[in-house]
Amino acid sequence: MTVLDAPADAGFPGRAALRRHGVLIGRLALAALLVAGWHVLAGAIGPLYVAAPLAVVERIAADLGSGELIRHSYVTLRLSAIGFAIGCAAGVVLPFVLRRMPRLTAAIEPYILASVGIPKYALMPLFILWAGIDDAPKLLLVGVLVFYVVFIAVFAGIRSVDRKLVTMARVLGASEMAISRHVVWKSLTPFFLAALKIALPRAVSATIIGEFLVGNAGLGYYIENARQMVDIAGVFAGIVVSIIIVLAINALLTLLDRRVNAWRPVDRDMRL
Amino acid sequence: MLLRRLRAKGDQIAVLVVLFAIWAALSWRLGVYWVSSPWAAGARFVDGVLDGTLIQHGFYTLAEAVVGFILGAAPATLLPFLIRRRPMLVAIIDPFMVGGYGAPKLALAPLFILWFGIGMESKIVLVAVTVFFIVYFSTLAGVAALNPKLVRMAQVMGANERAVLRHIVFPGAVPYIFTGFRVALPYSIGAAVIAELLSANRGLGFLIQRSAMGYDTTGIFVALVATVCIVFVCNRCLGAAEAYLLRWRPPADTSLPVSAAT
Amino acid sequence: MTMQPPLLEVRGLAKRFATRVGEEAPRWVIRDLDFSVAEGEFLTIVGPSGSGKTTLLNMIAQVDTATEGSLLFRAQPAPVTNPKALNPGLSCQIGYVTQEDNLLPWRTALDNVLFPLMVQGRLNAESRARAAMLMEAVGLKGFESHYPHELSGGMCKRVSLIRTLVYDPPVILMDEPFGALDAQTRVQLQTDLLRLWNLGRKTIVFVTHDIAEAIALADRTLVLCRAPAKIIGNHIIDIPRPRDVDGLLANPRFVALYQAIRSQVQ
Repeated sequence: MTVLDAPADAGFPGRAALRRHGVLIGRLALAALLVAGWHVLAGAIGPLYVAAPLAVVERIAADLGSGELIRHSYVTLRLSAIGFAIGCAAGVVLPFVLRRMPRLTAAIEPYILASVGIPKYALMPLFILWAGIDDAPKLLLVGVLVFYVVFIAVFAGIRSVDRKLVTMARVLGASEMAISRHVVWKSLTPFFLAALKIALPRAVSATIIGEFLVGNAGLGYYIENARQMVDIAGVFAGIVVSIIIVLAINALLTLLDRRVNAWRPVDRDMRL
Repeated sequence: MLLRRLRAKGDQIAVLVVLFAIWAALSWRLGVYWVSSPWAAGARFVDGVLDGTLIQHGFYTLAEAVVGFILGAAPATLLPFLIRRRPMLVAIIDPFMVGGYGAPKLALAPLFILWFGIGMESKIVLVAVTVFFIVYFSTLAGVAALNPKLVRMAQVMGANERAVLRHIVFPGAVPYIFTGFRVALPYSIGAAVIAELLSANRGLGFLIQRSAMGYDTTGIFVALVATVCIVFVCNRCLGAAEAYLLRWRPPADTSLPVSAAT
Repeated sequence: MTMQPPLLEVRGLAKRFATRVGEEAPRWVIRDLDFSVAEGEFLTIVGPSGSGKTTLLNMIAQVDTATEGSLLFRAQPAPVTNPKALNPGLSCQIGYVTQEDNLLPWRTALDNVLFPLMVQGRLNAESRARAAMLMEAVGLKGFESHYPHELSGGMCKRVSLIRTLVYDPPVILMDEPFGALDAQTRVQLQTDLLRLWNLGRKTIVFVTHDIAEAIALADRTLVLCRAPAKIIGNHIIDIPRPRDVDGLLANPRFVALYQAIRSQVQ
């Protein structure tokens, strides 16, 4: 990312390689610095507030070995997947249904936009009241969150479909179904995939947060339980594992994205 | 054309009426436990405003969100300007920033509550951390979008590095900074409310949780509506600030934002 | 002809770009370029597209480095070949009107004109009055509070022009400033430019691919050949001033000069 005036005539090609190595070394150094700082902090403030990095690693290993972390992780991931599927399905189908009813769409659009402003997590107690204290409210939360991301992306994608292509397809005698499938769906695949990249990690986060509030299994429960027992190492361990899982999903999706879209010209847009 | 717009407005009002009717019907059919009636919710809302409790709690939450926002956005806005001349530094910290952006910050809520207690501080820190990464990336994009020809022009006219930063780099980045603000705002209010849900003794999230504990659906509805009001007002204020500061921009089209879903 | 030393002198200027993949030797864009400009002279440089005109101006304005050569301003050498010592604009001695307007979109027209004055710390009642006078001189009175996106291309170009004129640098470089405009606006702006130049008789180095424009404006015209570019022609324009830009086409002296230059540009 060159944010300034171009460096004067880059003489030899070795300079670029030097830069790359320098960046890698810098990153490793920074990571080491952060962990060292963490260690020092833990020593200074004490085990009541900060668990030392080594203690956290030991705890994670122990809980992995005993299977407890694996169990909780599985519960969280399973719930996220189901909620994701529900939200995704609704988020994809609804825009296509609305596509056939432009008048209705125009009528409800401001309300949809307004509802985006509601912090969905704040609805969780309501969901608990409605759906009980098992998996259901968490599924609702994840479903709603994923729905919004996917719905807006697909909706915007459908809007941006080239009208001329649709008209041409109609002229050629294609049925509405066929148009939906071949013209509209193909055009909005990039929007949809981009939304999935955002929605999947968010689904996992939402599940964890839901588990803070209700339930007795899952990574969120693990963390919150540790907190209530003032088990700092446990809290740290749970958070670290959660972060690793979400970042791993992110990385996987980015890799997939690159593979699938390898043929596309690179488009550097804002990461928002 | 005008007729079409009138008809669209009429449709929207019709939908509003229908929504209300559905709400009332559901409340009547299912009972107040499941869905509080619009009238009860409305009355309770007005009561809450008049006797000040809703305002107090709302203000508490808003304060958490605003202070946290400033705490997180200030360094995030400053950092890209400081490191813009060192692309190696930007590259070095990039994976850490991306990691921070992707990691679920809300998962840190219990930790912050453990550290800072159930008062405002834990919520403020959570909001700050959430907002930081969002604003960093959008500001970075704004700094990167700098037009080098404008910098050259200013240099030929005798501008030093500080002048370039102040008059060229910064104004050019402001639109991007505002986009980051607009995305981060709902997050900041949401994070404050969630942290309050977990553990607090004041604020709208606390109200929601307390009402839920007492099976008081009306209370939940009222607190939710108050939250939405705050989000709405904040958005409007931000929009007005943006419209004023960015009045030099050529008019662009306003379409459904793809990444606005919270 | 006075025997003063030239205000600006370029000797043996050369520029080549780094080798690209697959190229044998690096290309010389400019090689062995010499010319000088006297004080108060309006010099135009004509050359075909791609002959490195912008590169040449960039080097003179110290915005880009030269591979070889020297640049003398008032007989003092300027560090053209040393990238670390570059001094863009040579401490506000050299103004540069670029091809694109490069107006700051977040400042009004007047604020854009005042920009160099502000940056140089010379903003006062007198300089503000000068800015206002210049705006009126090019017909932009009443548009002071307009933002660039509210102005037409020609108006933006005018603002860009007087933005450099307002701080009165001894030398002004101009890179095909009127190229992007329609014929009508172009003639209007050429007339405006001559009128403004006449007020102060600044030294101007004006680069263009339009031979007619080059002759119409200049005291002297240089011809640049294709890469590796150097000066291959030096024509003194002895058409008396003030000139009627529009009516020049009928002038026999103009026609002769045009033909002479045209044959060299081929």
